[in-house]
Amino acid sequence: MDDNQVVASLVRRCAAGDAVAWEEIVQRFNRRIYNICYRFTGSQHDAEDLAQEVFIKIYRTLKSYDTDKGAFMTWVATLTRNLLVDHFRKSKQDRVTDSMDEPITAEQDSISMAERLEDVGPSPDARLQARETQEMVHKALQKLSPELREAVILRDLQDMDYREIALALKVPEGTVKSRINRGRTELARLLSRTYRQVS
Amino acid sequence: MSEESQSGMQCLDFDALLSEAIDGTLSGAELEQFEAHRKACASCGPMFAEAQHGMKLLRGLAEVEPPANFVHNVLTATIGRAATTVQAARPRESWWERLRGGIRPALGPVLQPKFAMSFAMAFFSISLVLNLAGVKVANLRHLDLSPNAIMRGAYEAQARVVKYYENIRFVYEIESRVQELKRATTPEESGPPAEKEKDRKDRSDKPDRKYQNYSREREAVTMARLFDSPPLADQVFARRNS
Ligand SMILES: [Zn+2]
Repeated sequence: MDDNQVVASLVRRCAAGDAVAWEEIVQRFNRRIYNICYRFTGSQHDAEDLAQEVFIKIYRTLKSYDTDKGAFMTWVATLTRNLLVDHFRKSKQDRVTDSMDEPITAEQDSISMAERLEDVGPSPDARLQARETQEMVHKALQKLSPELREAVILRDLQDMDYREIALALKVPEGTVKSRINRGRTELARLLSRTYRQVS
Repeated sequence: MSEESQSGMQCLDFDALLSEAIDGTLSGAELEQFEAHRKACASCGPMFAEAQHGMKLLRGLAEVEPPANFVHNVLTATIGRAATTVQAARPRESWWERLRGGIRPALGPVLQPKFAMSFAMAFFSISLVLNLAGVKVANLRHLDLSPNAIMRGAYEAQARVVKYYENIRFVYEIESRVQELKRATTPEESGPPAEKEKDRKDRSDKPDRKYQNYSREREAVTMARLFDSPPLADQVFARRNS
């Protein structure tokens, strides 16, 4: 039995009221769903609330998932994405949009971005620097538009293929690819601009 | 933006192939044209580099761990009770089984019998040290942390060979603890003479100083352990001072 078959059987058991199967599903997908939410919202607190909402929605609508139609993860990503977009729309009104030009800096900021990105040797500072880099990338990700952000999250962090992403976002594959390209280049530009401003 | 380069590929086509080019799935004539345009076009070349850099940055983001109580909260919010059905299905879960259940998603393939045994042995070592320090592990019974529970859990995942090996290790561990204890209570002449003889022979080709440091270190460790256990430590001091 491959992974899809295992999940399909879990879904069937769960739909028949098997709580053990549901727990297995939660165990299997909680990291992925939480991570999508965390990288999209940028906050642990929001991610926890939203990821929990996603599971509630999955649990309530599990019977509507057709195992023949596509991978369970695609269906899950679609639900997740819809809730994230709702959340984004709601929170947009009462949030001060921060400027794209505002430099993205990690908390302890003295080393240049170039040094941070290049020096990943086994020195004791390497781990700290890697963490700082991650922090900056995470912050830069929040500055991308939701369309670009969700595309790169599903592609580069969740490793979904273009067809699956197109299904989840309900846009053509060509649009998916162009959003991924723009998301990646914009992110790289945001961080190189930070580098120029910092140094 | 130059609309067309010498190679015949347009910037729009380049953009459409960009993600596949970065994935490394382009080949043949398509790849050649793509590469030619990348090198010739003043806007597409840098864009390729940026997209590739952006991808590397994104893929460098590590997966974060959900909060510890997350699964519990989800189960409570969905089936109203956290894993009670699971417990009903498996009536008496030991401490080990619960731990194994909790770490299964992350460590699934690693959780082999021999690792189970290693965990058990690590616990054994700790409990032995605790015993020497006067703490009775049996007193922690309400946590189901007793060696018996651990071993039961571990043996459930046993492999015959591993079991044999670990049993030998266990006997060795006890022996070495007892020897340490003996050595510490008789500070001047430590260890059985036979062992000392053998050690000397083994190390005859090495400088003596190293060996002395080694034994001093061991004594220090043993002493440190004994300081946690006042009655024994007092004994040693009494003997030293007399
Ligand atoms: Zn071009």
